[in-house]
Amino acid sequence: MTLTHILVFCGIGLLTAPLLKANARRWLLLVLSILALYWLQPATPIRNLDFWLPTATLALTISAWALTRQSSPTRRDWIAGMVAVGTVLLTAATRHTPALCCLTPSRPPQSWQVLLALAAIAVVMLTLSRKQNPANVSLALGGGLLLVMLIVLKTPALVQTASALLRRWSGQDPALASALDIRWLGYSYIAFRLLHTLLDKLNGRLPEATLGEYLTYTLFFPALAAGPIDRIQRFMQDLHAEFSLDAGRLLLAGKRIVMGVFMKFVLADGLAVFALHPNNALQTLAAGWMWLLTYAYALRIFFDFAGYTSIAIGIGHLFGFTLPENFRQPYRQPNLTAFWNSWHITLAQWFRAYYFNPLTRKLRQRKWPVWAILLPGQLGSMLLIGLWHGITWNFLIWGLWHGLGLFVHNRWSEFMKGRAPWAEQRWAKVGGTLLTFHYVLLGWVWFALPEPEQAFYVFNLLFGGSA
Amino acid sequence: MKRIFLFLLLSALLLSACAGGNDEEAAANAVEAYLAALAAQDNDTLVNLSCAVWEQGALTDSAAYDGVTARLEDAQCTATGADGDSLLVSCTGSIIATYSGEDRPLPLDRVHYVTVNEGGDWRMCGYK
Repeated sequence: MTLTHILVFCGIGLLTAPLLKANARRWLLLVLSILALYWLQPATPIRNLDFWLPTATLALTISAWALTRQSSPTRRDWIAGMVAVGTVLLTAATRHTPALCCLTPSRPPQSWQVLLALAAIAVVMLTLSRKQNPANVSLALGGGLLLVMLIVLKTPALVQTASALLRRWSGQDPALASALDIRWLGYSYIAFRLLHTLLDKLNGRLPEATLGEYLTYTLFFPALAAGPIDRIQRFMQDLHAEFSLDAGRLLLAGKRIVMGVFMKFVLADGLAVFALHPNNALQTLAAGWMWLLTYAYALRIFFDFAGYTSIAIGIGHLFGFTLPENFRQPYRQPNLTAFWNSWHITLAQWFRAYYFNPLTRKLRQRKWPVWAILLPGQLGSMLLIGLWHGITWNFLIWGLWHGLGLFVHNRWSEFMKGRAPWAEQRWAKVGGTLLTFHYVLLGWVWFALPEPEQAFYVFNLLFGGSA
Repeated sequence: MKRIFLFLLLSALLLSACAGGNDEEAAANAVEAYLAALAAQDNDTLVNLSCAVWEQGALTDSAAYDGVTARLEDAQCTATGADGDSLLVSCTGSIIATYSGEDRPLPLDRVHYVTVNEGGDWRMCGYK
């Protein structure tokens, strides 16, 4: 999101809050979220992909809804579908209006192609919605498809192959394909929202949602690009709650937006100039400078991500939503477990709910020893969180770093219970916080540098080796 | 509901039908947009405005501006003729490249810009 996007969203929020009744507000949110899907989509060098990727997001969301609904589509669902189709057609129509062109970075595709795609989406929706309460196999297949797509997008070699195929399809030279071509706005977050609904449907915990509610939840525009990953149960409460933009809420929204803008566009962007990066890492020859670069990276990544989340939460307030927090002073936490309860909270909670808890429950039933239950749980969670960022060696090692750290902290805490009366003393807490911060700091070296060899060079220099 | 759907369908078809437009104007606009993207060093837009065989050429064009700040000044393009299936476009104005505080104007009128219609859009496809 750029400053222009933020200003426009805030403006719409402020203008519409006093004017719209509950029902109109819900339709506005749906239309805004679909328009934002196209507007926020980054440019890509593959022709019209900046239109087709948002359309694919819409298709996946509608399909997931059709798989999770518990009754036949109602009139309201069909109207929501028509509103979605109409919004897409409106976006595509800017192709023919040079003065208003375009919501997407490049000119949208030809109208017949758009109509064909929308017709295909309608056929898929009609097919999926024929059966009420689809079988678990269908839900599993849907989840599998989302995961396969995530794996392709996160694996450099696979995404490059996909880019070459798309280039061939669009008449472009496949030899120029790059792993950076396919920039699918917010796919990681959208996939995890959809997976959450599919898994909750399997577990019988999913509330009934209309197509409009489901689309608004999945595509909610403040949280589209970088979360937080909300739960549909919580989101729908806000969607249906009475909303008025009173002074208190306005002040809260303003505070969060201003704070977020300062963190992201001033602090994070300022630190980006000298934060640890593949280009500057190998050019740095002195340990002092390397420590500076590393500290700068730790601060930059926090201000960037937490700033963005603050903006999303602030904009959410303008539209009546209290989005979940994603950060809670993570660098002030006394241990690694507390850190992971304070950093990217919604992602950690997602993996806790859908990986860690089910796995540890099963292993406990088999009466495994505690350490044997925790190790795959914690290590697995962190490895998956690492791979969620990218299926490359550096993210795998970063996940391993934190998974082992969590395990060691857990076993150490268990061992020290009753043996460390000094643990509550101030010096011990400060020491714990410093130790935790530096453990996380060194972990960021793996995260920031795509090649492990670069990270080894940095560690060598940090701990007294020569350049 | 059927009425809403039919209305949307007819609107889209009507928009498509009315979209014929002026080829010469579209070709000239494509070249202007290409030059603007070149000055802005926006590689993604450059590629999207280029025909398939010119994509590498567009990236080479862009690489020429690495290390300098560029801006487009008084650019105006018009189609001047046809060459087989392609349309030739001429432009006036210049790209001002700034390096170490020094401005260097690069006039746009020294070449003709070749455009072709590919995938329903006129695209930059080289120089003549």
